[in-house]
Amino acid sequence: MSVNYAETKEAVKSLIYQACLYQDDLNWDAWLKLCDADFQYRICAYSPEIQADMIYLSGGLEDMRSLTGMLSKHNSDHSPLRRHCVAYQVTVAEDGRSAESVSSVTVFQTQLDGINSHVDAGESRLFLVGRYHDKFSINGGDIKFTERTARLDTRRLDKGSHWPI
Amino acid sequence: MSARNHAQWTAAPKLKAGEWVDSRIYSDQAIFEEELQKIWKRSWIPVCHESELKNAYDFRTMTIAREPVIVVRGNDMKVRAFLNVCPHRGNMIERRPSGSFKRGTPSGTPKHMTCMFHAWQFDMKGRCAYISRCEEGYQKRLRKEDVGLRKLNCEVYFGGFVWVCLDDDIDMTVEQWAAGALDVLSPSLNAEPLEIFHYHKAIIPCNYKLWHDTNCEFYHDYLHYHNRITGFNDAYFARKNSGFKNGHINVGSFEVQYDQYEGFESREALSFPHLPPNHWYMIDMFPGVNFNLRGSALRCDLMTPLAADKVMIEFRGLGLASDTPQQRRTRIDHHNSIWGPFGRNLHEDLLAVTAQGACMHQAAENRRILHGRHENQTIHDENGMRHYYEEWGRWLNRLPSDPDRAFADGAGGRAAVARDAERELALEEA
Repeated sequence: MSVNYAETKEAVKSLIYQACLYQDDLNWDAWLKLCDADFQYRICAYSPEIQADMIYLSGGLEDMRSLTGMLSKHNSDHSPLRRHCVAYQVTVAEDGRSAESVSSVTVFQTQLDGINSHVDAGESRLFLVGRYHDKFSINGGDIKFTERTARLDTRRLDKGSHWPI
Repeated sequence: MSARNHAQWTAAPKLKAGEWVDSRIYSDQAIFEEELQKIWKRSWIPVCHESELKNAYDFRTMTIAREPVIVVRGNDMKVRAFLNVCPHRGNMIERRPSGSFKRGTPSGTPKHMTCMFHAWQFDMKGRCAYISRCEEGYQKRLRKEDVGLRKLNCEVYFGGFVWVCLDDDIDMTVEQWAAGALDVLSPSLNAEPLEIFHYHKAIIPCNYKLWHDTNCEFYHDYLHYHNRITGFNDAYFARKNSGFKNGHINVGSFEVQYDQYEGFESREALSFPHLPPNHWYMIDMFPGVNFNLRGSALRCDLMTPLAADKVMIEFRGLGLASDTPQQRRTRIDHHNSIWGPFGRNLHEDLLAVTAQGACMHQAAENRRILHGRHENQTIHDENGMRHYYEEWGRWLNRLPSDPDRAFADGAGGRAAVARDAERELALEEA
């Protein structure tokens, strides 16, 4: 089977961006439908303070389904997040059955609650900075996330961080 | 009574002295400055964990009451603390949060703390080792022996936490300062070496005491779905809050039903040594430190007050140094599920104190903040906060419910009782 690498790369990029749109919209079910049954999710960061690699959140597909399903029972900040993502590097395996990517991601938070919503609502602030390291399975035209690691530079995380990034 | 007018709203509540505080203690910048001088500069503060300085020449920097502090591990493996300030021109010596002095810096030689400004160098015991062009500039008038760093009281205690006190005259060890408050977790934390695996920070626009209050009272379980679903039972409501000398408190334990929360699991297999399975103890240390052990993971909150209405909270997570990679991974998952920055509970606490801060900023009208729940000193009793503010009042000699008055005139005192009576009368008349 011949592999059209250029087309596959574009399809992978489209999937990354589609995932951002679903996450921005808190459409967690749709986001998780883009993921393989063996999907593994992580939020990581390196801490220069303690000189250690850290995991801030991790889980498989079902863990993420439980977590997002329970969100409505929790008190969350109401300020929406918007992911600005650029897929810098997409590498398709020679056999065309898997791919990996590295994307730069910045997340902005547009205040709704703010500190005092009367003053702050409507103001957009930088929420965090990092990269997505993604892996994909490719089955013909069907591309799924098998792994997402959101590797953050940001280690100051105030209120507003109840959701997967 | 229906909704209240201004006089009613600002009147003293129908509670006894000591059962409420004036919100000025959370918002007044002058009181805040006094707290830094009289409390934070005179208390033992755990600034980091020894596993953050594993090797000789490792260092960690921080601030206490705005004073820059550096903690270093010497070649003799002893941990020492100094002001992170060069005695020459007052420059901050080390700017990074952590690192090693084993390698040289652009201005200095290996194994020394070097002030990059004029290359003065200091060894790990705080002695000045080198003054650039010393004789040319100072002749015999000033020698390196005259300009050592400012050493600080430093102890490694309670599972390897590094405690620092800025006050040379403090007349007690950390153990004496703790006054028994740490005993409940000492067997678990001292059984074997601990290791840090988690660090993040939050800067919240509220007074530091509001975060400490949240750690001291559990009535805010209503904020946390997780606490309600895994906790609310007879054993939970029987948990005792106990006060100790110097303003510290303990929150007693019970067995948490983690499996009641969808997707969560028992922590029994990874319990800390000597801790009954799935138990959960908390220690709140005056003036703003919290140790929180939930079965398999230890959390420590350290507050750094930045202004009357601004606090930085550093969150640390620790496990056992002997963990296998798989054990550590599970321990981290347990920690993060509730306390990580994307966990279920921590974020809710941050929301709540932010909303308190929004109503108690520096220019806000002062309000009465109620600490008056009595439930036989159990989990929803507010005796923990009352115990804290009694100590706070003593240190500042201010009455928490009326901070312009002396503490000696305070809770339970004749004057306070008379004032309560006057206010009740005024309220009835209003």
